[in-house]
Amino acid sequence: MLKMTHIRKVFHTDLVETHALRDISLDVAEGEFITITGPSGCGKTTFLNIAGLLETWTDGQYLLDGEDVAKLGDYQRAKLRNQKIGFIFQSFNLMPDLNLFDNVDVPLRYRGMKAAERRDRIDRALDSVGLLSRKKHLPSQLSGGQQQRVAIARALVGEPRFLLADEPTGNLDSNTAEGVMELLQTINAAGTTIIMVTHDPSLASRSARNIHFLDGRIADPDHLNTAAQLHIAS
Amino acid sequence: MFIYYIRLALLSYRRNPVLSSLMVLAVAIGIGAYMVIFTLNYFMGGDPIPHKSKQLFHVQLDYGDPAFADFDPPPQLTYIDATALLDLTSAYPRTASSKFVGVVEPQNREIRPFSVNGRGNFSDFFTMFDIPFQYGSGWDRSADENRQQVIVLSSELNNQLFGGANSVGETVHLHGFNFTVVGVMDSWSPVPKFYDVNNGPFDPIEEAYIPWHLIISLRMDRSGNTNCWAAPEGDGFQAFLNAECAWIQFWVELRDNAAHEDYLTLINNYAAEQKSFGRLQQPVDKRLFDVNEWLIEQEVVPDETRILSALAAMLLAVCLLNTVGLLLSKFLGKAPEIGVRQALGAHKGSLFIQHVIEAGVIGAVGGVLGLGVAALGLEGIKVLLGDLMVSDWMHLNVTVVVITIALAIVCTVIAGLYPIWRACTINPAIHLKMQ
Repeated sequence: MLKMTHIRKVFHTDLVETHALRDISLDVAEGEFITITGPSGCGKTTFLNIAGLLETWTDGQYLLDGEDVAKLGDYQRAKLRNQKIGFIFQSFNLMPDLNLFDNVDVPLRYRGMKAAERRDRIDRALDSVGLLSRKKHLPSQLSGGQQQRVAIARALVGEPRFLLADEPTGNLDSNTAEGVMELLQTINAAGTTIIMVTHDPSLASRSARNIHFLDGRIADPDHLNTAAQLHIAS
Repeated sequence: MFIYYIRLALLSYRRNPVLSSLMVLAVAIGIGAYMVIFTLNYFMGGDPIPHKSKQLFHVQLDYGDPAFADFDPPPQLTYIDATALLDLTSAYPRTASSKFVGVVEPQNREIRPFSVNGRGNFSDFFTMFDIPFQYGSGWDRSADENRQQVIVLSSELNNQLFGGANSVGETVHLHGFNFTVVGVMDSWSPVPKFYDVNNGPFDPIEEAYIPWHLIISLRMDRSGNTNCWAAPEGDGFQAFLNAECAWIQFWVELRDNAAHEDYLTLINNYAAEQKSFGRLQQPVDKRLFDVNEWLIEQEVVPDETRILSALAAMLLAVCLLNTVGLLLSKFLGKAPEIGVRQALGAHKGSLFIQHVIEAGVIGAVGGVLGLGVAALGLEGIKVLLGDLMVSDWMHLNVTVVVITIALAIVCTVIAGLYPIWRACTINPAIHLKMQ
């Protein structure tokens, strides 16, 4: 589904050149649940942004569903993000003055869907995260865990095939994080491909494949890190 | 999506009420000040009779003293020329007209005699200028020729004398003579008063209208400008009439190019003939002016209003520059939201439209508030210039209201283009992590 070959990303400023990704090659199959781990500044988020078409890259090839996305313009990338990719962020990134219904509605608006279908999908998405009864509430009226559930509902409402989660439990306590992780596993079990960045080895150990980043590179080029190894490393 | 974007714009306003209100205020002050001057120009420089302004022509002849090359020809005609042109060109609707003042003695003895502004004119005056009538009509050409003592009243004078009733056939005692009412005008207030711009172009219309010849035969008290460039030969009224003194406005209606050419030939021939008699020695470039040409020629809109326009435009520009800064601050402050929207599928074009609409909403609110500023400004001008000009015509009509709001929206959107462009080209990835 996702195939990256020799991806490099260099950030330039007037004085400094920063190599965020040095040579990333990765193949992700449909339905996989992959976790990305690594120390701060190792390029995890940059990788996720490139995978989500929010960031360009300096060198290398990125194929999404066999399509070379480097050739796509802004409109086509936006369309791909809207239709194939869902995002979950560490700090939820809900819009504070929109209620839950309207927050979940955002990706559907850009799809040009009719109101009745949008309403149906939003209700189902909120119901799946247990927050349908609070759809008229503002994000500020919810706990952190509930806000992250809304963010997951927003990511899922467009029924994407590919979910990118950047430390989705980073701002949550362990109990709440566990609930969110269980939700993501359920989503994955339903067929959605997930790539999740996390600092938490215990969460990483629950994925089918973990990839460890170090200094802009995949630490184990054969992508053979296992949950057991991660536990030992931590 | 348009309604969705409007809703987002209103939510955005509510999220930053102080910043948004500052922008609205900046737009309102700039637009309000500009619209005060625009309204002045709009009414002062507007076409007072748009459906006929290309058919009505003011006649100017080659007046002046050849010894003074920079002598501006007076805008009126002498009695000699006016009467000659009346006879010469009677095939076309035409009118000479002059202003007078007279005292009206009401039949109702409880009302004290009072002074009115009047106009002596020809019967064609009413049809040429499409004057609406409440009762009756103007008089006909035979009344002109026979010097009948008939009168047309303005609706205001009719209200004063007859309580607004149909007064056709009633008698009005004016300047010591009895006049029979033949018509009562309906509301009519051309701005500027194009048919006589040299005697108060923004004054209200006259209250009483009588056949022009009666000004002479009844020795009505003329009022208005009189320009003489040669002393009358002799004393008395007849000497004045024969003198090179211009005091009569002269208009003719020419409905097509052929009529225009024909009439021009007539007055050119007349001017040539008069030159051969030693008159009309100061050549003029143009002898026929349509309504708008005449308003420009006579500089009805004073130069000061152009300077004021420039100043108001500068103030508007300053306010809009402030708005640019405030919009930049507002839109860059929305970078995290823009980043999230991009992640969720918004392309730059849709974000651009969303923020153009947001700027437009700010402009619209600013425009509405600007109308209040403009209304206050116009009231201020009326207070300041109350003695110098009658300003009842100066108000915010539907056209001005629409222009104000449209201008506010367009200006704010233009002011917002750079901030919107900046906001839409930010790298979403940076803000998604930082939020």
